[in-house]
Amino acid sequence: MNTKKAMYLSENMTRIARRDRVFLNNPVIMQGMGLAPLVVAATTAQNALMLSVAVILLLTPVRVIAALLARTGYYRFRGLVYCLTSATVYIGVYYALQAIFDVEILQLGIYLPLLVVEPLIIKRYERPQKERLVTALKKGLRTTCGYVLVLMLMGCLRELLTTATLFGHAVPRLPADLFPMASLPAGGFLLLGVVCAVWRSAVNRYKKYVNMEAKRGQ
Amino acid sequence: MSEVLRACAVFFLYAVAAMFAENAVFSRALGVSRLVKLVDDSTVDTLVFGGLMCAVQLISAPLAKVANALIQPFEFRSAVRPLAFILCSAVAFAVVLGLVLLIFKSRAKDIVAVLPMATFNTAVLGMMLLTATQGFSWVQTMGFALGSGVGYTLAVVVVTESQRKLRSRAVPAAFKGLPITLIYISILTLAIYAFTGHRLAI
Repeated sequence: MNTKKAMYLSENMTRIARRDRVFLNNPVIMQGMGLAPLVVAATTAQNALMLSVAVILLLTPVRVIAALLARTGYYRFRGLVYCLTSATVYIGVYYALQAIFDVEILQLGIYLPLLVVEPLIIKRYERPQKERLVTALKKGLRTTCGYVLVLMLMGCLRELLTTATLFGHAVPRLPADLFPMASLPAGGFLLLGVVCAVWRSAVNRYKKYVNMEAKRGQ
Repeated sequence: MSEVLRACAVFFLYAVAAMFAENAVFSRALGVSRLVKLVDDSTVDTLVFGGLMCAVQLISAPLAKVANALIQPFEFRSAVRPLAFILCSAVAFAVVLGLVLLIFKSRAKDIVAVLPMATFNTAVLGMMLLTATQGFSWVQTMGFALGSGVGYTLAVVVVTESQRKLRSRAVPAAFKGLPITLIYISILTLAIYAFTGHRLAI
């Protein structure tokens, strides 16, 4: 790594980590948000894809519209504003998903409408400061990227471990029933716990590496 | 008389089932994101949160049943169901807010601060969606709503109590915090699965 870049990263690591929602401060791995659909519904890559599309269509628009409404309305009831915005946007999202995936969305059960009150989508209401629209847009997009990444990773991993397939296609030279429990909620929790631990140690190693490189350059 | 006893038995059965065999957290991971936050947050009293959640569930469950019956004939029911249920939660929120302000005059501020979290979460909406989509009767709905709230509180207490053990030095550094909590929940989830013996409908 370039010494100059390492020094810049080392000096600004806290600020960069706070902004980054994909690797350094992933909403699932670091903050434990959006766990319910991940653990129960994302058992296959196809389910994870459907949930990802729903999150892409829901998260950023809700955050931007709710930020706009919260700026103009009575801020004390922002929790209700965020939830009602989310439930209203969901109507459009439901029809969009139905048009794309047809009856397959039924496989998600209650976990598709549950996205409406998922902390990942509405958690911003807990902070008393009003959010600027540009910030809401940027953070919404970044959070979406981070969540979709973990969602697809978990969906693919669970399908591979359970049936040795990916999007329904058999993966050669991979034994079937490698870890059948992965399709159950218990397996989902276990696998997510392991993914979290690996991801977090990778983040720590990256930070340590950047600091070492920066010290070497001084 | 036998009708009353039968209704009480059904209520009790559904409450116990929602508390243990169909525990919101350990069987369907409902409200688990809120749970992992509550476990780390010493400012929120678990019992206050649980009490508020039970009150919200008990009020919103019958409202959701009525709302579901009203939208049932329409083709767009699946799309508007979350909006209808959020409105039911909002009514429950207003009722509980009024009661809290009336009963706990001086302490009300701290309790009111927790109320939005106890109202707008996946455990409350999940309970309403389950009772609506599985066609529960009135008694079954009320029993399930109460049991679901108590079961969620029990889950928070169990996971909070485990934290002292999970902070042990024997736990590898990479697993400390959220990863080991998720693994601990997975073991409890497996125990519930072993008890029920089948995967619950989602």
